[in-house]
Amino acid sequence: MSVAVLARATVVARSAPMEGAVELVVLDPAAANIAQPGQFFQMGVEAPHTLLPRPYSVAAVDPDRGRLGFLFSVVGAGSAWLSSLEPGDRVRLIGPLGRGFTPSPGAAPICVGGGLGIAPLVALSAWLVAAGRRPVVLQGAREAARLLPADRFPGARILTATDDSSAGWPGSVVGLLETVAAREQEWFVCGPTPMLQAVIGLADALGLPRQRIQIALETPMGCGVGTCLGCVTPAAAGGYLLACQDGPCVRADRVDWSRVEDAFHG
Amino acid sequence: MADLDCTVDLGRGLRLRTPVLTASGTFAYGFDAPLVDRGALGAIVTKGTTLRPRSGNSPARIAETPSGMLNAIGLQNPGVDAVRREYAPRWAAWDLPVIVNVAGDRLEDYVEVVRRLDGVPGVSGIELNVSCPNVAAGMQFGVDARLAAQLTAAVRAATSLHLMVKLTPNVTELVPIARAVADAGADSVSAVNTYVGMAIDLRRRRPVLANEVGGLSGPAIKPLALHAVWEVVPAVSIPVVGMGGISGPQDALEFLLAGAAAVQLGTVNYVNPNAAREVLDGIRGYALERGWSDLRPFPLRASPVPSHA
Repeated sequence: MSVAVLARATVVARSAPMEGAVELVVLDPAAANIAQPGQFFQMGVEAPHTLLPRPYSVAAVDPDRGRLGFLFSVVGAGSAWLSSLEPGDRVRLIGPLGRGFTPSPGAAPICVGGGLGIAPLVALSAWLVAAGRRPVVLQGAREAARLLPADRFPGARILTATDDSSAGWPGSVVGLLETVAAREQEWFVCGPTPMLQAVIGLADALGLPRQRIQIALETPMGCGVGTCLGCVTPAAAGGYLLACQDGPCVRADRVDWSRVEDAFHG
Repeated sequence: MADLDCTVDLGRGLRLRTPVLTASGTFAYGFDAPLVDRGALGAIVTKGTTLRPRSGNSPARIAETPSGMLNAIGLQNPGVDAVRREYAPRWAAWDLPVIVNVAGDRLEDYVEVVRRLDGVPGVSGIELNVSCPNVAAGMQFGVDARLAAQLTAAVRAATSLHLMVKLTPNVTELVPIARAVADAGADSVSAVNTYVGMAIDLRRRRPVLANEVGGLSGPAIKPLALHAVWEVVPAVSIPVVGMGGISGPQDALEFLLAGAAAVQLGTVNYVNPNAAREVLDGIRGYALERGWSDLRPFPLRASPVPSHA
């Protein structure tokens, strides 16, 4: 595992690549050199009355220019403060933290993102393409305006789904996944809990072993390093996995899906 | 410039090189926070440890609230035998004392945990978490002076280690409980644990925490915790270790001025891994500016027995 660093990173760009999302690009060469797709950073927040840093998975890693990109929605005071940062502002970053995705060499990679769950898959898709693979990226959103533009996935095959049928497959991204799913694939998935459960159900029905699915867990987090034990997900072996230490990217067979509740509240 | 002697003698052989400790539950067992500067610490206080392993509460276990956070972790820990077997040998090689926080819901369980830690190389002290419900009495040990004293006395008899009793602030009167545990053989008290609180999710129409209620920590509780320390210090003749919402040097200094012999940093470790170093530097700077050679001049009020021996 990589060693996390504490930095005061400089914001170099802020944009709104799609409806309901903000992308911050920051300069943090030490971290950009070691960050892996699926790992996350704790971003310090200085909004009044907030306290804890916000955990965001890295959506873009550019070691050549020393940059990291983060893609998130504004759901509360912390993300609102982060979304108000301007180029030149500084932000406290701790990371990279946790375990990233670990694609295996053989199986065809399928990336499935629901909503802002697409964020870690942007970085994973780029990593796979750079490694000479051609991932299929399935992106689901409520409506067309909330889809990240396809040009953010150079070299990948992009398929989209929208709940309101305004673009791509009409309905859930899991319905779209069903149209391309095959047993010899490897899936990388991030999104809301009901979507994750539907993906697991589809894999079971198809006979795709759960160990060939990697999930990027999203959960409220305290410390981000394994000391507070706040970010737990039920483990198949009993007890709990820590999203920050055992994950955020975990093999789906390590999770007890029957005990998983939709506890994430942004 | 004259140097400052930052050592603190908490009694019964527990000497700290600095007055800055990590608070239980915010530092696990000392292996998981590599960004925190160990050189600034006087001791590590571990996660609450029970007789048998506990898997803890269902999520959600934490929630941010204004200038604070709620937690209801549920004492997830590997149990005392794993701590003794796997962690203590590694602590024995450190130059930093480790104080094991001990929890339980029966008096006999506390005693057994402490007995199994007594004399184990690498274990330098015990912090007793008295905020657990007593399964027999149906109330927390720490909210009743008689129960708290019974527990302290029973544990005292089982160990020759330094015994720190961590007081819960969720009581009508803290001072009688502090006096009771001091009289029952505690070497020090730490004050205070978290305040009971809750948050409700408007959209889901249910408490945010799966446990419904949790312990509130962070800057929101600092004035309350400081007042608790202010009350307890003159009431007991043993050192008081202050904690509760310390977020930087200013807060830590207030606790020392209130008479705390040392401070514990908790939630701030999640926010700023440099906090321990910044707090120690702040304490040193404050003392050196005043020409002090050690920490003894800190308390604003004369105490019955000097806390800083």
